[in-house]
Amino acid sequence: MSTIIQTEGLTKVYGANGAAVHALRGIDLTVGKGEFVALIGPSGSGKSTLMAILGCLDLPSTGTYTLDGHQVQGLSGGELARIRNEKVGFVFQSYNLLPKASIVRNVELPMLYAGVGRRERRERAMALLEKVGIADKADKLPGTLSGGQKQRVAVARALANEPALLLADEPTGALDSKTGAEVLDLFRELHRQGNTLLLVTHDPSIAAQAERRVEIRDGLIALTEGVA
Amino acid sequence: MTTSGAFRERLFGAWVEIRENLGRSILQALGVLLGVASVLGGFSISDSQRKRADQMFVKMGGLDKLNIQPKAAVRDGQPTALQQANLGLRDADAIGGEALKADAIQGVSRQKNARSRVVSAYGDQDRQISGIGGDFIPANGYAVAQGRGFSATEMDTGAPVVILGTEAAQTFFPKGDAVGQTLRIGAIPVTVIGAFEERVFRFREGQRNQFWWRNRIIAVPANLVQRRMNGDAYRRVDRVSFRIPDMAVMGAFAKQLSDLVKANHRLQEDFRLDDVAARIRRRNSQGDVYDIIFMLSGVLALVGGGIVNVNIQMAGLKERVREVGVKMALGASGREIFKGFMTEALLLTALGSLAGLVLGIGFSWIITKSLGIPLYMTPASFVWAYGLAAAFGFLFALYPAWKASRLSPMEALRYE
Ligand SMILES: Nc1ncnc2c1ncn2[C@@H]1O[C@H](COP(=O)(O)OP(=O)(O)O)[C@@H](O)[C@H]1O
Ligand SMILES: [Mg+2]
Repeated sequence: MSTIIQTEGLTKVYGANGAAVHALRGIDLTVGKGEFVALIGPSGSGKSTLMAILGCLDLPSTGTYTLDGHQVQGLSGGELARIRNEKVGFVFQSYNLLPKASIVRNVELPMLYAGVGRRERRERAMALLEKVGIADKADKLPGTLSGGQKQRVAVARALANEPALLLADEPTGALDSKTGAEVLDLFRELHRQGNTLLLVTHDPSIAAQAERRVEIRDGLIALTEGVA
Repeated sequence: MTTSGAFRERLFGAWVEIRENLGRSILQALGVLLGVASVLGGFSISDSQRKRADQMFVKMGGLDKLNIQPKAAVRDGQPTALQQANLGLRDADAIGGEALKADAIQGVSRQKNARSRVVSAYGDQDRQISGIGGDFIPANGYAVAQGRGFSATEMDTGAPVVILGTEAAQTFFPKGDAVGQTLRIGAIPVTVIGAFEERVFRFREGQRNQFWWRNRIIAVPANLVQRRMNGDAYRRVDRVSFRIPDMAVMGAFAKQLSDLVKANHRLQEDFRLDDVAARIRRRNSQGDVYDIIFMLSGVLALVGGGIVNVNIQMAGLKERVREVGVKMALGASGREIFKGFMTEALLLTALGSLAGLVLGIGFSWIITKSLGIPLYMTPASFVWAYGLAAAFGFLFALYPAWKASRLSPMEALRYE
């Protein structure tokens, strides 16, 4: 089994000197291809910080990180943007769809940055919307959709460039339990199809559905259960 | 890159952004609009004014004509007989001058004037008599309306014939039957063979006729004045005009003519030549002050608008931090974000400029209309107005775009 995530001694310090916050204190984490991992822990424990570093939105203060074979630390802003574009798909709690772009344009966006041609972009975006079950809303604006539908669009968009890693930060946090469960089913389906998933949650019942649970406390991995 | 249509997408995105924030966008475009309208309008108004002044100059017989007139050269004591013989402007000077640039000169006219008592059955006045020769009539914008012009023989022999301007005809023959009648100039009876068309030129509609005095003309052949009124043995003339439409040729010609006439006159500078260089300078500098004032007010509007734009953009950026964060998370580089913001600002500038051009045209039209002069616009004014707006639009777009491109994706996503 090939490795998607490999970190050693990741730390993250916000601020400096007296006001410094040690959000991460040395994370060693390995995630293999096709795994479904839930990241759990209380609020303020460092989950989002770790997610940002794993998603190449931010760089660690110290430590090393290899994503799908690429050394991440020391890369420039432009190179990080390329890696995010090609390797990572994000799903956020608050959907983060661009409100002024139609659903299909939202899904096309990562492909646009990747330089995919117009027609292929449109075709792939439509196929993805089909896959998450809302192709009929392609030309609508995000504001006209329900929460569950928005999150499906976000998932379609995250899959646009066939990323090595899907990162979801509290993806069901803003949804009621029924639609939350539906979105979770979608993730499980993606897992079955071979995608590598890392899902952040504070809800134990959701975490229970993952193959493996990693718990973080005060910036350190406190507990790992499930298959490693 | 071109095949992915990234530019097209950026343009589309920019358009959506402008359309979605219509109020803000209009506010941002306002500075550009006013700046462009001010530059274009100002330039066009002063171009129109200049064009009108040119027209008047040409109509009055300026610009394309080089005049040479005599002046007193011998200041101390009486001139010697030899000096006397060579002084003053003569027919020979006109003929020699024409030979210098025969192909560029479109006409030569001579004038020999006199003052005399003019008497008809209705009038008796002391008047200026214009003895004319060569192409005087067309070169000075006259045209014969009734009767006929002078024949070559009449010109040559100095026949006692006269053509009257409308005022003169009205004064001496108020019944309107001047042609065919006889007029006495001094002791000489002359026959009226024609009447000129009325000369009218108003700088603006409703203003007084600048050319009223031209209608006072009493024209006879120059040779008649020379031989029978106040001529002399040297056939001196009061003025010789060369018509040369090409300004560049005129400059060179003026120099040659000056040398020639000076040589003819035994090196005495007893003549006065129009200062062509000064004329060109004056023509070119007409309205310069206004151009500068309008350009300045346009630039001020653009700078003012630009600063307002930076402020609006920076305030707008706060609302858009999250959007930038999302785009970055999806793989947009800082460069891509920069281009997006620049595209938006430049599209806005382009739209504002377009509206400004329309406003500027309307503005100039109204002003020139109220001044009573025809509107005249040059492509250069459009280029200046658009170019300045584009330059300032670009300049003031840089800072907000650069700021947006430097956001950290992490911070931007967290921004509430
Ligand atoms: N940009 C930041 N500047 C300073 N402190 C931060 C910043 N981001 C997060 N933190 C701090 O780092 C710690 C971990 O935060 P976070 O990763 O958001 O935790 P979680 O997602 O588990 O709630 C918290 O104490 C938080 O206050
Ligand atoms: Mg969090």
